[in-house]
Order: sequence, then C-alpha cells, then structure tokens
Amino acid sequence: MGSKAAAISSPVPVAWYPTLAVFMLAIGLIVTASFFIYEATSSRRNRSLAKELTTGAIASLFLGFGSLFLLLASGVYV
Amino acid sequence: MGFRFDLLLLFTTLVLLLTTTPTVLSDVILSKVDRRIDLTSQIVRVTSTLKVENAGPGPVSEVLLTFPEIQAKNLAYLKATLNEGKGKVKNSGSNLPINVANPEELPPSLIFHSVSLPKALGEGDSLTIDVLAVFTHVLRPFPEEITQADIQLVLFQDTAHYLSPYAVKVQSLTVKLPKARIEMYTKLENTNIHGSDIKYGPYENLPPFSYAPVVVHFETNQPFAVAQELVREIEISHWGNVQVTEHYNIVHGGAKSKGEFSRLDFQARPHLRGASAFRNLVAKLPPRAHSIYYRDEIGNISTSNVWGDPKKTELLIEPRYPLFGGWRTTFTIGYGLPLQDFLFGSEGKRFLNFSFGSPLNDLVTDNLIVKVVLPEGSDDISISTPFPVKQGHETKISHLDVAGRPVVVLEKTNVVPEHNQYFQVYYRFNKLSMLREPFMLISGFFILFVSCIVYMHVDLSISKSSASYLAKLQWDEVRATIQQVISIINQCLSKHERLEASLHDLSRTGDVQACKTARKTADSSFKEYSKELKPLLSFLQSSPQATQILPKVEELVAKEKELQERLIAKHSTIVDCYEKKIGGRELENRVASHQLKVVALKQEVEDLLDYVEEI
Repeated sequence: MGSKAAAISSPVPVAWYPTLAVFMLAIGLIVTASFFIYEATSSRRNRSLAKELTTGAIASLFLGFGSLFLLLASGVYV
Repeated sequence: MGFRFDLLLLFTTLVLLLTTTPTVLSDVILSKVDRRIDLTSQIVRVTSTLKVENAGPGPVSEVLLTFPEIQAKNLAYLKATLNEGKGKVKNSGSNLPINVANPEELPPSLIFHSVSLPKALGEGDSLTIDVLAVFTHVLRPFPEEITQADIQLVLFQDTAHYLSPYAVKVQSLTVKLPKARIEMYTKLENTNIHGSDIKYGPYENLPPFSYAPVVVHFETNQPFAVAQELVREIEISHWGNVQVTEHYNIVHGGAKSKGEFSRLDFQARPHLRGASAFRNLVAKLPPRAHSIYYRDEIGNISTSNVWGDPKKTELLIEPRYPLFGGWRTTFTIGYGLPLQDFLFGSEGKRFLNFSFGSPLNDLVTDNLIVKVVLPEGSDDISISTPFPVKQGHETKISHLDVAGRPVVVLEKTNVVPEHNQYFQVYYRFNKLSMLREPFMLISGFFILFVSCIVYMHVDLSISKSSASYLAKLQWDEVRATIQQVISIINQCLSKHERLEASLHDLSRTGDVQACKTARKTADSSFKEYSKELKPLLSFLQSSPQATQILPKVEELVAKEKELQERLIAKHSTIVDCYEKKIGGRELENRVASHQLKVVALKQEVEDLLDYVEEI
C-alpha cells in the first residue's frame, strides 16, 4: 500500500440508511397516494397527462431511493 | 511401514550421490546450522538458521535448500530472511526470493529450492539466513485407528543431520514436542532430552548429503482441523460493506476413530474419553466485523460466541458435535466489514486489500478458493498476491444485476496460517455506475405508474356501439361539464370574497377609488364567467343523461346570479354612501336588507354546490 492510497467509503454514511429509508418511503407513499386520488377523482376529459407523469416521476424517485436505502439498512448490500 | 521403505530408497540415493557430487556446489560451506522443529500443533514448522560461508574462489549469489521428495510434497510454505547480526532486531521485511531449482546431475528424489542472496558473497565472506519451512500432513497417526478412550499418538520422521548439498561444520537440532507423553524417539550419539524438547547434536564436520533418520513417536491432543475445501467469497458493495462468506468442509485429520461413540462418557470425562477430539474452533476476524452468522444446511447453529475489541473480533464456534478422528462437518460463517477498512483508491484505480487465508486458528486448508466479487461495472481487473496462486474469472448474478458482477477466483492448495497475508485486487470503477441500482428501482416504480396512467387513459370496452357504452360516454361528458360548472361557480365565489374584502378595506382606509376598480374587475370577470357558463348549460339541457341533475345545476346558477346581483347592489350602495359621506346608522339601514339576503343566498349556494358535487 502506497501512502497515496486513500480509503474509499460509501457516498452516504451507513448510519443514515434507516432514517433515509423511513423518510423517503413516507414521502414517496404520500405522493403515490395523491397520484391515485387524482387518477380516481378526475374525469377522463379534464385529466392532465403532464400532471400525472410528474406526480408519478416524483413518487417513483422517492420510492426508488427509499427502497434502496431500506435494502441497505436491512443488510442487503446491493 | 511404507515410510521405512521410503527412507531406504532415500538412503540409497544419498549414498549414490556422495560419489557423484558435482564440484560446483562445494564452494559453499555451512559453518553453523541451528534447526528447531516445532511439533506442538498439527502444522510442523521448521526454523533453520544457516551461516553460509563461501570457501571457493568465485562469488556465490544463491544458496540451495534441499528437501527429500516425501517431505517436499507436504511443504506448504517456505520463507528465507536475512538475519543481520544477533543483537539487532530481525529484519522480517527482507524476504529473499526463492525459486524451485532442478540442478542437473542431482536425483529427482531430492527437491531443491534456490535462495537468491541480495548481493553475491565474495571469497571468505559469510552471512546468516533464517529459513522457515512449514509442512502439513507429516505427523502420521500411529496407531492409525483409536477408540474414544485412547490417546492419539503420532509419528514424525526427519533427519538429525541437516540435509544439504554443502558440507556442514557444526550443527544441532531441537525438536519441540507438546507437553505430553513421549512414546519413543531415536537415540543417536549426543541425544539429550529436556522436558518436552529433544536435542540432537552438536555434530561436527559432516559431508554433503549426510542423512541420519530419526523418528519421534509422541502423544498429541492438538486439534487436527483440516479444511478439505474452503470457499471464501468476498463481495464488495460500494454502498459501504464488504461481505465475507466462508464455506468450510472440515475433517479431523488425526487418528481415525473406531468403535462406538458414547456421548455419556464424553460428557462425564472429556479429558479421558475423548482427548483426541476437538469441540470448538476459534476464528480471528478483522475488527468492526458485524452481522456475524454461523450456520449449516439445517439452519443456524447457536453454539457460538463473539468478543470484540478495537484490534480484532474473536469468534468461537462449536460444531454440532465434537469431532473425532475422521469425522467431518460442514458449515458456513459470514460477516460484514466496513468498506473503508479494506477498499482504497490510488491513481484512478480502486483496490481491495484483504487477507488471503482462513481466519480460523491453526487450520490446514487443503484446497482454498477465494472469490472476490466486484461491483457490476468494474473493469480493468488485475491481481497482486504475495505468493503464486491459480487465477480465474467468473460472473455472478446477484441483487439488481443486469450483466452480472465480475468475480476473481484465486485457488491454492495446502494453505497454512502463514499464508494469511494481504493480497490486492485492482479494478477501475466509474462512480456513476453506483446509480445503476437506484435507477433500476426508480424505473420499476415508474413503469408501475405509467401502466396505471395508460390503464386509465385507454378505452378498454370491446363493443364501441353498445347502448350502455354510449350512455357511459355521455355520462362522462355530463360529469366533466358539471365539474366545469362547479369550478366556475367556485371562481365566482372567490370573486365575491374579493369584493367583500374591498369593502372591508374601504371601511378602514376610506379609499373609494380602489373599491371602484375592484368592482370593475369583478364585473368584467363575472361577464366572462356567464359567457363560459352558457354553452355548458345548453349542453346539459340537451343531454338526456343530465335530466335529473339539471334542475339543481340550473338552480345553483340562478342562485349564484342572484347572490352576485345582491352583492353588487350592496357594494354600490356602500360606495355611494361613502361618496355622499353618509355614515353611521343611515348606511347600516340601507345595507341591512342586502346583507341579510346575501348571507341567506350564500348559504343556499353552498348547499347546492355540496349537493351537485356529490354526484
């Protein structure tokens, strides 16, 4: 090992994983709920595709990272 | 007595050798040889201190070490270091390079290793080398089969004279035995015994290839744990973990057990009825090891214990049953380690710095396979090991993988604890590749949402002309229209509030002009709203589906209109009064009737709105 070698650690501290998982999943689920409420209540005519897609994208972003951190926190290191 | 025959064979070749020794080798003489053989565990460690002297004219740059073939095949590890002076601390860093040498004219029953000296030895110069040779499977149980109550006796054979192609001036040999019974040992001249040490020598002025076979027969109850196969899997996750999984296939390599096994006897007097067995194994894991598990095919094995301190983690594991000679067990241990302790980066490359051998104490591994699973997307892989190993490559599909992870496979036979040295696996990895896993999860969820959107947008009915389908379409249209009406009414109501607010401002500031402009904007937007409402209402009137709801909607619109008028009337009255500077009671009297009506209408409109929204 040369002196130049620097230790590499994870980009997010391991101790944060459970907290991050809880919060990101909570936000993700709330956005998912609003997505489905919008789908169910708005009628076919005045539904906006852009709004649906952005809500879905935000929800999947939070759910995706949330489930990743959930996996990491529970010991499944992907 | 196979080995007696071996010895005989060896002896005859040696005698032959004596007559044909090449002159090249005789330039070197060993002025002093000190050998210590450690037999306290199943792994035989022979430490020799050689004082090499060049007696010939030419320079000497390498020294030959000799092992008989029967020993050489069990040689697991060989290390030579330069011993610089007696008083100084031994410089263990300067390992001398060792190659297998096969000088011609020498018989194949002897295996030679040549040690390259750091600088050539001139005439008359001398230096001292420490040689450590580690052998496995050389302690031969005798008798080969014992019962539970018997003690385990083993035989060890070697030569009392140092086997060397060079003449040896002075030499001695110490055999260190475990503190137990010594059944028998070969007595030569100058043989002494001190406690559990047997000392042969000193012997002086022996010619090259001197050989004096000695045999020691002694009791040993050390664990003869031999892992016939050990697969270590080291999986790197850049999310902060190095996961190690070790699959052991362990056998007791000592004297075979015969007869029946009595658990009662073993439990009652373990030292008499089962002295040769071992109950537990101790693994020395790296510090900060976490999530440690110990299991086999059946499931978790609960008999284990962990102690941790900042320097190491000690894991004591007890197999499901004590192991007697020839008995075997298989199990798996696994643990996670923090990434930053083992993964480093230098010059754009990353490398894993990990220990090669098994963490179990005093374990002989017949066949060790180390698999290093690198993260998906690693490339430009290279390996650096302190000793030669067989290398291979595989791919492994694990969680959230598409192409699979590259796996480096290192294989080595006959591994002893001395091989627990660090090896490095270098690879190149793009940081963005870490986002592959979250991206896969995100796209998975996104596909779910998109499919929901598609499901809601696509018309899935088969018959596009059926009455119920058409009715549904119309009903959808009616609903959409009613929603639009409701939203317009809501906008109107918010405009009303704006007007009320402007009146409020008027009573505070007395700014009539601001109130008038508010009225103007309200008027224009009311006009717009009524224009927008017209087509919607006419559609509802024409639609047969809306007949039930239509009266309510019309009532709602009418009431709203009335409310609007009343409000405007109220507004203009107040503004009028302010302009004419009529205040106090008079103003209140004029407004009171409007105010009552406005409140009543507002309530009605809200009730109707609630009713229509319910549909």
